[in-house]
Amino acid sequence: MAGKSSAAAATYSPSLTGQRKKRPPIQTDSEWVRPDGRGLHQCRPAFLKTGAVNSASGSAYAEFGNTKVIVSVFGPRESKKAMMYSNAGRLNCNVSYTTFASPVRGQTPEAKDLSSMLHKALEGAIILKSFPKTTVDVFALVLESGGGDLPVITSCASLALADAGIMLYDMVASVSVSCIGKNLLIDPVSEEESYQDGSLMITCMPSRNEVTQMTVTGEWSTTKINEGMQLCLDACSKLGKIMRSCLKEAASGPQD
Amino acid sequence: MAAASGTNDLSSDMELDAFRRLFPLRFHERHLLESIRPDGRPLGRARDTTLSLGAVASANGSALAKIGCTTMLAAIKLEVMIPIAEAPDEGCIAIDFHMPPICSPLIRPGRPAEVAPVISKQLSDTILSSGMIDLKELCLVSGKAAWMAYLDIYCLDADGALFDAALLSAVAAFSHLQIPVVSLNDNGRIVLMSEENGENGGSMKKKEPVNKEKIKLKLNSQPFSLTCVLHKNYILADPTFEEESIMETYLTITLDTNFQLVSLNKPGGPGLASTSAIQDCIILARQRVKELQQILNEAISDMEVD
Repeated sequence: MAGKSSAAAATYSPSLTGQRKKRPPIQTDSEWVRPDGRGLHQCRPAFLKTGAVNSASGSAYAEFGNTKVIVSVFGPRESKKAMMYSNAGRLNCNVSYTTFASPVRGQTPEAKDLSSMLHKALEGAIILKSFPKTTVDVFALVLESGGGDLPVITSCASLALADAGIMLYDMVASVSVSCIGKNLLIDPVSEEESYQDGSLMITCMPSRNEVTQMTVTGEWSTTKINEGMQLCLDACSKLGKIMRSCLKEAASGPQD
Repeated sequence: MAAASGTNDLSSDMELDAFRRLFPLRFHERHLLESIRPDGRPLGRARDTTLSLGAVASANGSALAKIGCTTMLAAIKLEVMIPIAEAPDEGCIAIDFHMPPICSPLIRPGRPAEVAPVISKQLSDTILSSGMIDLKELCLVSGKAAWMAYLDIYCLDADGALFDAALLSAVAAFSHLQIPVVSLNDNGRIVLMSEENGENGGSMKKKEPVNKEKIKLKLNSQPFSLTCVLHKNYILADPTFEEESIMETYLTITLDTNFQLVSLNKPGGPGLASTSAIQDCIILARQRVKELQQILNEAISDMEVD
């Protein structure tokens, strides 16, 4: 292993990653062609499954195209000793990436901001009063990052919370939209995210029709924003239905 | 002490789960008397094991191994390095074992598990000393370029016998490894053939690939392992987390496919292992190696069918 540390810094990936793929020119009259051949308003195929990790109180696995995420929920359990007394429960979120999540090793995104975004997206949906003095831990591991990571993590975490039997006002579903030129692309992959003009992400509770988190970046016109929001909300309610049916399946499975 | 002496009577009134939590050792020892374990296994049998190759699309080689509930995901990424002067024809393998907080309630973010670096070291010692991979196979251009294989193993669910599952996933990831065809460009860098052609198209003449015949890594005898818990006179193969945490000591035996001993590890503990117990463990390990080899071969042939 002597060569490990000395050689580690000097290695490079054989793929030409230094240069990003150039963005194709925007054609104003023709339709945008997506790298995976989807329609502009078509989401990636989603696979969801609860009970992925046996040693956790609740867990879920989500696979949206190439984005693969596992979320484990632990607790409610004792809060850290240094914590003050609190009537309401606490939520603790942590997101991490595997070293092989991105195409080039070691180029995984900073996960600290994702942890706090996940916390903010979920806390509004959890009935924190139902577990006073204790903490619920939500840990996410991104096995493979293929774009739209945060929305997938958030939806998967909500499913894991439900699997753990944590009381929720409603499930939380999250979808993002990318704006490229005049086109709105739902559920973008990494390549599309890399050359987008703007992005919009909505996290909502579909059956209560409430939004827990919404982020807008880049340049948007008011009409575009409205259109994008409507797209997201429609997709969220569809995703919510898929999540519900996944939970129902898991609940009815063992009795058969 | 009245409670302790009365447990035998108490157990008949108590709920099973409560008894299991309050007196875990008694609970297990009662099973051992009947030569059976709480999950219904006989003492010498390992849990159901599954293996699937190619679980991570962004890696050059990957495998997901499950032994009972213990789940390991191993992935290999190849990068190019300049070989050191002492060994100009050799590549390098860097092995890292991770236990992210999702895998066990005992691990919190920011406080890495104590066992992770121990298993990491054990894995690299075992894999590098077993002679499974000839580092010369990783050479691209002598003295100029060689492959650096980064093997990362993630524990997704920790339920005992972590080393066995990690080693199985690592060996499987190496047998799934597909080496990309590369060529040497004008700047002396190694680049992928497909991208080289795509970027420069017809303007440049095609470069010769430097590793045309080395798409698969040749694996010599692969190592497989079995962990056994030693408790009093009993030997329990492939322990769960619960069994590992309450019983006296354990022994990990690694054999290669020719049944040569690669490593034997007994990490202390209150129990001592007698020579006959070690021999019994080796016999169990021999059977297990046959099983694991078959599981790996099946996984490889499943992959080829797809």
